[in-house]
Amino acid sequence: MARVYNWQIGRETSYWYPGSRPKKQFAAVFDINKCIACQTCTLACKTTWTSGKGQEYMLWNNVESKPFGYYPLGWDVRLLDKLGAQRWEGGRYAGSTVFEAAPAGERVLGWGPEDQDYAYPNVGEDDCAGGVTKGAATRIPHDMMWFFYLARICNHCTYPACLASCPRGSIYKRPEDGIVLVDQTRCRGYRECVRACPYKKVFYNALTGTSEKCIACYPKFEKGLSQQCFLNCIGKIRVAGFLSTPKEAREDNPVDYMVHVRKIALPLFPQFGLEPNVYYIPPIHVPEPFLVQMFGPGAPAAVAAYRALPKDKDLSALLTLMGSTERVLSRFRRAGGSVEGYDESGTEVIRVPVTEPAHVRAAIDVAQGVVRSNIT
Amino acid sequence: MRDSMRRSFWAACAAAALAGCGRHAEVESPGEVRAAFRPVLPDSPADEAWAGLPVHDAALLMQDMVDPRLMEPSTGKVRVQAATDGTRIAFRLRWDDQDKDDLPGSARFADACAVQLPAAPGADSPAPQMGEEGRPVEITYWSAFWQASVDGRPDTINAIYPGARVDHYPFQAAPLKDRSEDQKAMALRYAPARNLGNPMSGPRTQPVQDLTVEGPGTLRPAPVTRSEGRGVHQNKSWAVLLKRPLPAKVGPGGGTVMAVAVWRGDRKEAGARKMRSGWVSLSLEARP
Repeated sequence: MARVYNWQIGRETSYWYPGSRPKKQFAAVFDINKCIACQTCTLACKTTWTSGKGQEYMLWNNVESKPFGYYPLGWDVRLLDKLGAQRWEGGRYAGSTVFEAAPAGERVLGWGPEDQDYAYPNVGEDDCAGGVTKGAATRIPHDMMWFFYLARICNHCTYPACLASCPRGSIYKRPEDGIVLVDQTRCRGYRECVRACPYKKVFYNALTGTSEKCIACYPKFEKGLSQQCFLNCIGKIRVAGFLSTPKEAREDNPVDYMVHVRKIALPLFPQFGLEPNVYYIPPIHVPEPFLVQMFGPGAPAAVAAYRALPKDKDLSALLTLMGSTERVLSRFRRAGGSVEGYDESGTEVIRVPVTEPAHVRAAIDVAQGVVRSNIT
Repeated sequence: MRDSMRRSFWAACAAAALAGCGRHAEVESPGEVRAAFRPVLPDSPADEAWAGLPVHDAALLMQDMVDPRLMEPSTGKVRVQAATDGTRIAFRLRWDDQDKDDLPGSARFADACAVQLPAAPGADSPAPQMGEEGRPVEITYWSAFWQASVDGRPDTINAIYPGARVDHYPFQAAPLKDRSEDQKAMALRYAPARNLGNPMSGPRTQPVQDLTVEGPGTLRPAPVTRSEGRGVHQNKSWAVLLKRPLPAKVGPGGGTVMAVAVWRGDRKEAGARKMRSGWVSLSLEARP
């Protein structure tokens, strides 16, 4: 195995191939606090890409309730259990990644879901963790019960386990945008990638005998347009862009700003070692140990930054911009009470007010002689 | 082996077959696979013509050279028989396997087998583990998934998951007419491997595929599959017929080497996770 640098775990790690970062890296930020699990993203993806025979069970995009929701069943907890203790020393991960923990004869520490593990896409939906005891029900808000929605797509990792595991080299990472694809002309359906991907975002098509996965809607993304699951998000929780390395981060790049500059958006299970490129603004109401396990040691600071949003003009301006346009934003700028978004050519493509103007009407409509039920 | 010894072996085989009087006496050939000359090759693994043909027990090893490896042994041996008509060669492979794994699924794997021959026979054979760069080997691969498809399993989700219910396929909605070319074209857009012509993505018309390879990880389909095959699972074992053209420069009275591989679906063996033999000598009986 080669040695590569993974900035998310603050150290070098093993990888099957030598490190080779793409010229640009597709990345995304999802604000978990705004997700309502309406599954519009799931359906947008399903109708666009996976409505064929053999694709029935595939959810390239899914939204699951945490801590008890999974698709496939137990995708994360099973691997966490196999990986053993995951200790952080500050920002440096002191445990083993899935590459370092690979058993003899394997390229990656993984596991293969059974058929029935895909049978319960809604398992655990809206199930709460914890119980309300000691009179906590009389206080609002209380912090004893919690759950949150985790929207998931392929992470288009910098060090993809699926790519590393394929003995045929049928999976590749595009140098122009870092999107990870299964070559459908070359795949022979061995399912090493299904076994290796810790996020379980590669799916086997039993009718064509090949494995398929999220393609980050590359035909759209190549034209500077956001993915279908981003565009259709009711809660406007998602934003797509290109992520720089930490040293090259630009303050005016939306994803760079949230990931590198303000560190409010965090990778999903960074300890797995893949350097995933979908970043999450963690839910602010969830116990800290759970967040640290899922998003790494940066979670408490990210939660604190999010709670301070009302006083944080730049960050709240940027969050307002999320989901406001189909165009992929390369740059943003706060100007007075508005925030502007620019595409790669430098053209302004969107401008929105940071605070939406509120209009208050009189409670009684004199002309109609009725009482208004909605006055704002 | 000297010609006189070869001739006496085939004479002994004929005598044993006669002595068996139809009781399917099997003549062991421990040192090599011997392909009998037959003007007409068997068409199925159950063909009576296999009776009396010499049987070589090919011992299988775990593929443990390249990752991912097989770490637990499974199928121990394959009983190999062969016959040639001077232009083609037929193999019958038989191995014990309690379960018939021919139904695909997200986590279901196929029983399968393969025969491998050097593309250019010679005294110095390429590496037995799928050849090496510049020294290709040819593989004929058979899959139980494909056999079931050829034997009539419909190309539908309900054929593999009988309880599945599908609300809607977009290509089955109006205004597309059922079985129309427009409908087929739209369905193909949701089957990327088929749309791009991946030769293994089905629906299959034959259960075998010809492949060439120059070392692990370089397997590629031959431009055309000229081999044929048929597999039958009976009495807790598979019997598979594989029939392919003779390699260039190999004919009756000559020889080359061959190797076999077996995958057990119930153990989720696929690709590099397989049991395989080393090179075994393959000698072809001379024309009478």
